[in-house]
Amino acid sequence: MKFWDLIKIANRNLFRSKLRTFLTVMAIFVGSFTLTLTNGLGDGLRDYVDKQVKNTEGNNVLFIRKKFERRNEQLNPDEPVEYKEKSQGEAGNKFDQDAIIISQEQIETLRNQLPEIKTITPRYWMKGEFITMNNAKKYRVFLDMLSEGVSQKVEAGKTIDGANQILLPLDIAKAYDENLNNLIGKTATVAYRVNEKTDEIKTLQLTIVGVSTKGMMTNFSSFVDSETAKRIYEDQNQQSDDFNQFSNLTLQLKTGEVQKIAEVKNKLDELGFSADSIADRQKRAYDGVAILQIGLSLFAFIALLAASFGIINTLVIAVLERTKEIGLQKALGMGRRKIFLLFSFESILIGFWGAVLGSVGGIIVGTIVNIFVARTYLESFEGYSIFVFKPLSIFLVMLLVCMIAFVAGVFPAFRASRLNPIEALRYE
Amino acid sequence: MLETINLYKTYKGENVDYEVLKHINLQINQGECVAIIGKSGSGKSTLMHLLACLDDPTSGSVLFEGEELSQLNEKQKDLLRNHKFGFVFQQFFLNGRETVFENVVLPMRIRGADQYDLTKSAMEALEAVGLKDKEEKRAKDLSGGEKQRVCIARALVGKPQVIFADEPTGNLDSGTSESIEKMLFQLNREKGITLIVVTHDIDLANKCERIIELKDGEIVSEK
Repeated sequence: MKFWDLIKIANRNLFRSKLRTFLTVMAIFVGSFTLTLTNGLGDGLRDYVDKQVKNTEGNNVLFIRKKFERRNEQLNPDEPVEYKEKSQGEAGNKFDQDAIIISQEQIETLRNQLPEIKTITPRYWMKGEFITMNNAKKYRVFLDMLSEGVSQKVEAGKTIDGANQILLPLDIAKAYDENLNNLIGKTATVAYRVNEKTDEIKTLQLTIVGVSTKGMMTNFSSFVDSETAKRIYEDQNQQSDDFNQFSNLTLQLKTGEVQKIAEVKNKLDELGFSADSIADRQKRAYDGVAILQIGLSLFAFIALLAASFGIINTLVIAVLERTKEIGLQKALGMGRRKIFLLFSFESILIGFWGAVLGSVGGIIVGTIVNIFVARTYLESFEGYSIFVFKPLSIFLVMLLVCMIAFVAGVFPAFRASRLNPIEALRYE
Repeated sequence: MLETINLYKTYKGENVDYEVLKHINLQINQGECVAIIGKSGSGKSTLMHLLACLDDPTSGSVLFEGEELSQLNEKQKDLLRNHKFGFVFQQFFLNGRETVFENVVLPMRIRGADQYDLTKSAMEALEAVGLKDKEEKRAKDLSGGEKQRVCIARALVGKPQVIFADEPTGNLDSGTSESIEKMLFQLNREKGITLIVVTHDIDLANKCERIIELKDGEIVSEK
């Protein structure tokens, strides 16, 4: 029997007992509907994460901090920790700053031990006061540093590549000029307070090189280059106790080769640092989404598991009902394999129709929810839809459901294929 | 063409084994019309099943065109039945929801014939049984005689060498029976198809060239 004939006959057989098939399909529908929605939710989150984390780029950059060493005392969750009196000078129960602060000597050691390093930029914290252009309106400014080697996606212009440069966030840029390109190359005045206690304010003239694409961090922050950042940091912190004590460094390497970076990471690990590349950070965000998605999909799988017993039940009854027919087909020379295939196709088709209905239903419901929620709750999350339906995901859901259905059909199909034609023809 | 050598078929019972067929030796030639008669339980259906390659003998052998059937594997047996044999059963075994056409072409579909062959052979077979105008009707809407004619068309569609008819008129009234009998004998005469009829109807058997009578699994007479 031809393949296509088998599928056609299988489909016709299904519609012989319409109600029974419909009910079995409905059980599958519930599972694939849920799976479509959880997948849509996952893809929606992933899209959102994509938009947020893909904003920064740099394949030769590592963010490092000290590996946090656990103190010797084991923390047993079942027992309260006893407070110990310590004499002065000892760390006691106070948090040990040295555990996270990277000293100047350590930075020198890094430079000496790792010839792959091109630049080391500490994480400079700054507090901006306002920004203005040519005596135009002043706006509050949140300053952030773009480390050497990291580039920021821009709506207009380009990323930072030298000293005395600034990237504006979209909202501020638009406030100054709707046509973003007009701003590129112009000078912005950035003001910052030198000392928290006094009102002394300093200003810097910075060249606008670009306007950042929106994202998690870039909705508000203006980015400056590391030299400018250092200058502001020194002005603001010279008097402070923890001046030039950093817990985070950005390393720019001379190479972007994956293997070399892995080697550097290993060396850093031996030296007591944990290092993340931008890719590592992105991967962690995706892993979080994936775990959430697997958790949600579990419910869909339970529904599909229950539905697959429905398929088994339906097909076992079909085999009994059609015993004579199977006997005749075998007598007329239809082989075991073909009988097996016929029933397998019937179960796959139940899965297929359930998956089609489930996907369509899921997409419809998801789209309605998207429209509704976008109007009400998510206005502040620009560019985020709760459900995103990708053709590939939908296809994979269908494929998976068909596979589950196939597995469910194996037992009845096998029973049908093993029927003895003589006994089957005699069956009452 | 069909030959049995010292054929035995035994069914295992709880305490005793039932010997359904004992020491069957016969030879059926191409184009013959043979009736196998006997009371129920005489083993005539079992003999037909063995000849038609639907069952395996306990011992002895069945030869079709000199080839021993027990030597064939499952697939070769399926092919043999599909290509060389046609079947007509007492209870028709038609799929009532399907059209006459679909019922008739089943052996060709199983064979994997293309659409042209399929339609052509179905039309020829339907013409031979005089049901050409009813190909689109559903099988359940036909009368008993028409149903059996559909079965004959189905047996005929694959151009078989042998047609096995198991009580072909058992479910039909005498008038319809006669026309079905006529049709089968005509096929035997005109197309040279070997006809093996299993029946307990002496009148039908008497119209065949040869009668093999079975009693308690043994051949008691042959004429």
